[in-house]
Amino acid sequence: MRLKITAVAITAVFFLLFAGVLNLTCIQGKRLKYLSEKNCVRLMPQQGSRGKILDRNGEVIAGSRLTYDAMLLPQDKNETERLLTRVAAILGESSGSLRKAFQERFVSSSVPVAIAANIDVKKAIALEELKDELPGIMIQPHPLRDYPYGKLACHVLGYLSEIDRWRLTKLGDYGYKTKDIVGFGGVEEKYDYYLRQEEGGLSFEVDHRGRFVRVLGFRPPQDGKDVQLTLDLRVQRIVEENLDGRTGSIVVMDPYDGQVIAMANSPGFNPEAFVYRSSQRALSGIMNNPEAPLVNRAISSTYPPASVFKIVVASAGLENKKVNFTTTFPCQGGAQIGNRRFACWDVHRPQDVFHALVNSCDVFFYRTGLLLGPEAIHDYALKFGFSKPTGIELPYEAGGFVPHPLKRKLYQFKKWFDGDTANFSIGQGDLLVTPLQVTRAMAVFANGGKLVSPYIISSISGQRSPEGRRKTAAISLKEDNREHIRLALREVVASPTGTGIALAGAGIAVAGKTGTAQVTRGQPHAWFAGFFPFAKPKFVICVFLENGTSGHFAAILARQIIEKMALEGLV
Amino acid sequence: MLLSRSGTSLLIIALCIAALGILSIYSSTSQKEGDFWQLTYKRQVFWVMIGVALFLLVSNFNYRRFWDATYLLYAVTLALLLLVFILGAVRLGAQRWLKVAWFNFQPSEAAKLAVVVFLARYFSTKPAGALSLSVGSMGFVRAVLIPLAFVLVPVGLIVEQPDLGSGIIVFLILLIMLYVSGVRMGYVLGFVLAGLSMLPVFWNMLRGYQKDRLLVFLNPNIDPLGAGYTIIQSKIAIGSGGIFGKGWMSGTQSQLRFLPESHTDFIFATFVEEWGFFGSAVLFFLYYLLIRQGLNIASRTSDSFGRLLALGICCMFAIQISINVAMNLGFAPVVGVPLYLMSYGGSSIAVTFASLGILANIDKQRSVF
Repeated sequence: MRLKITAVAITAVFFLLFAGVLNLTCIQGKRLKYLSEKNCVRLMPQQGSRGKILDRNGEVIAGSRLTYDAMLLPQDKNETERLLTRVAAILGESSGSLRKAFQERFVSSSVPVAIAANIDVKKAIALEELKDELPGIMIQPHPLRDYPYGKLACHVLGYLSEIDRWRLTKLGDYGYKTKDIVGFGGVEEKYDYYLRQEEGGLSFEVDHRGRFVRVLGFRPPQDGKDVQLTLDLRVQRIVEENLDGRTGSIVVMDPYDGQVIAMANSPGFNPEAFVYRSSQRALSGIMNNPEAPLVNRAISSTYPPASVFKIVVASAGLENKKVNFTTTFPCQGGAQIGNRRFACWDVHRPQDVFHALVNSCDVFFYRTGLLLGPEAIHDYALKFGFSKPTGIELPYEAGGFVPHPLKRKLYQFKKWFDGDTANFSIGQGDLLVTPLQVTRAMAVFANGGKLVSPYIISSISGQRSPEGRRKTAAISLKEDNREHIRLALREVVASPTGTGIALAGAGIAVAGKTGTAQVTRGQPHAWFAGFFPFAKPKFVICVFLENGTSGHFAAILARQIIEKMALEGLV
Repeated sequence: MLLSRSGTSLLIIALCIAALGILSIYSSTSQKEGDFWQLTYKRQVFWVMIGVALFLLVSNFNYRRFWDATYLLYAVTLALLLLVFILGAVRLGAQRWLKVAWFNFQPSEAAKLAVVVFLARYFSTKPAGALSLSVGSMGFVRAVLIPLAFVLVPVGLIVEQPDLGSGIIVFLILLIMLYVSGVRMGYVLGFVLAGLSMLPVFWNMLRGYQKDRLLVFLNPNIDPLGAGYTIIQSKIAIGSGGIFGKGWMSGTQSQLRFLPESHTDFIFATFVEEWGFFGSAVLFFLYYLLIRQGLNIASRTSDSFGRLLALGICCMFAIQISINVAMNLGFAPVVGVPLYLMSYGGSSIAVTFASLGILANIDKQRSVF
């Protein structure tokens, strides 16, 4: 019984479909045949504009602006040739170059071809007026990325370019197509899904001369969502002006919740170069520059932290009770460890932990490090957030590397010596960190012992990004130990023998630590990490100069930035 | 004898349809450049030859052995689907294929057949010593919920691939199998109603572009450049064929690349453009004969497992063919299912011929008893 009903149902469905074919072929057949013979359907894609990227005060860092493209409807060869000559005359270009553009961008006979991108408004109007005479020409508005401040915050933004093969296979399922313009690096890449506009368009019927007859369908294009950052453009500008011309990276962060106020790297690049791909030379200059201007050094490059790391070793020593406030080690300009002599940069005589930080005495930390052992230093480095990415919402963040005797044995088949511990204790050797990691390690002493998670996205199209992701973990440091180190950091700047003396005269009380990292090639790297104002810190700053010779120079740069910020009333 | 009478006719009908398919594939790819496209029809000929070999093999393989191997078949299918899933995760994107040596195998095609075998066995169990099937006396849990649970696992994996079309087809197979196997009518209706009331939930589980495609089906003009474009072009292709068609190798829509997927999912439009209304009548007739033949075999068979298996295979054919044709006509959303025997693709050809082989064997065993 049910079998029969099933058979009848299948027959019925087949008849229904057959009736559908009958309807299309015999009843609507004539009109559809006409459409097909004349290839009379044209498609006109329309772009929405990409979402804006704003700073914390709503100022536009990357927006978009309308440009006009001249489009040509493909027709028969003679007609196309005639149109090209006319357009070439109006645009003042050779018809040969337009023909080449036409042939290169031709997709199918139903889609108009952009023969000249980004044309002058006056010429666009001139072409539009010729519409009756030249039905095959269309002027299409086309939003382009616009950077009102040029290269400001370029590494945070990233740039836009045509989608590459790797991204296409990865994102094809989310509606990405070949020739799409997508973000590379920075917020543009990480938040491309939100920023990205949706293509809309028009399909319409044209007559045999290519003149518009009627609209068949329309889908409105959709603009992308705006992304607001935590950056303060005023601070960002000061930072970039001061960093300009050197190689390095500067991060300014809110010590309490990890909002990144400024993040700058030098050398940088102008993202506009990618928008108008006209100047190929400028582009290949950026791509092939050995200074790597595209790299966001603050998060993607790793360096030895040198003496800045002493805040970690001092915390470990005090917490593990290997040293106390009164423990002193004599410094005679060096120490014999194993069969090698490890030098200090100066002769300090007996130093306790407070003065060893102020004077950045290496010998004190060699001794403390040997008492602690590399495992304990490793554990404390991890507590301060080293060795893994901070989780900031930017792509290509590096994790850095914290050495450990076991890791060395497993991966390098080498033994760990006391000399390695000594190097580790002063932030040299295999230890590698990013400037952003240093910034948040310093923030621990500014905010009362909390390890924050740096973030840079404050809201997406007006909706605050979820706070749950921003973890702030308390580091278990005893309050008097932490306070002791904090006061020492102030003395680094205030004491006449302190290594941060360059900052002493700044109008604002700064605390911090310098670092001079020996490198195998070239001048040492220079570090300064600190916070200000000392009494109630509002900012943590980390200045890093690649081959900057000495921490002293990083401190000078920090002073210039802090003074300028104070001058503009930002502190 | 190698083949029974019904087996021979099944094979002949299938080969006729496949021949029409190869003609259309040849025509739609002839304008495309490159060896890959030029050789597409040859590869299809090769697949059909493999298919015929499979048909001969399976039609001489006692289908009762499938009864014993049901769970093994089910497990292997799940494993293949999981493998696609894992490899897909590694390759960071949609993946429906498994690359086996030199060809791509699409396990979701085989999964449909495995589900049919599984359900046929499930609903044809008899309590020991009883004469009638236990299905009539089953409660709601045993009649509906347990088979549903077994079907949902592969459906979930298929939809996640993401291959929405095959997922829907497997689900429809379950529904029709529930009906034909004699589950109480109230339960079947309850299942349908429950399914309908769950629709909003399923809707929310879909990905953005899947939703778009379903919406576009309701109005192709909301996305004239994307999925709507395909529907518009497919309708133009079919309609412009008229009564007698433009003639073989003269279809402009499919050859000038207006119609995407003209040799796979939209081969029906390609065919009708060139052969017209009369061509489509012949095609419909051939498909109808094929399914009719299967249904006849089902009604002749007294073994309940064989009958349900034959019915299930017929339903699988009918559902998939209907959905594909409806999609070409703009009656159904573009979900990406091939047209059995016509569309280019090794997995679908192989599974089709194997299923027909099972049908032939069911009829053969009947004459043995």
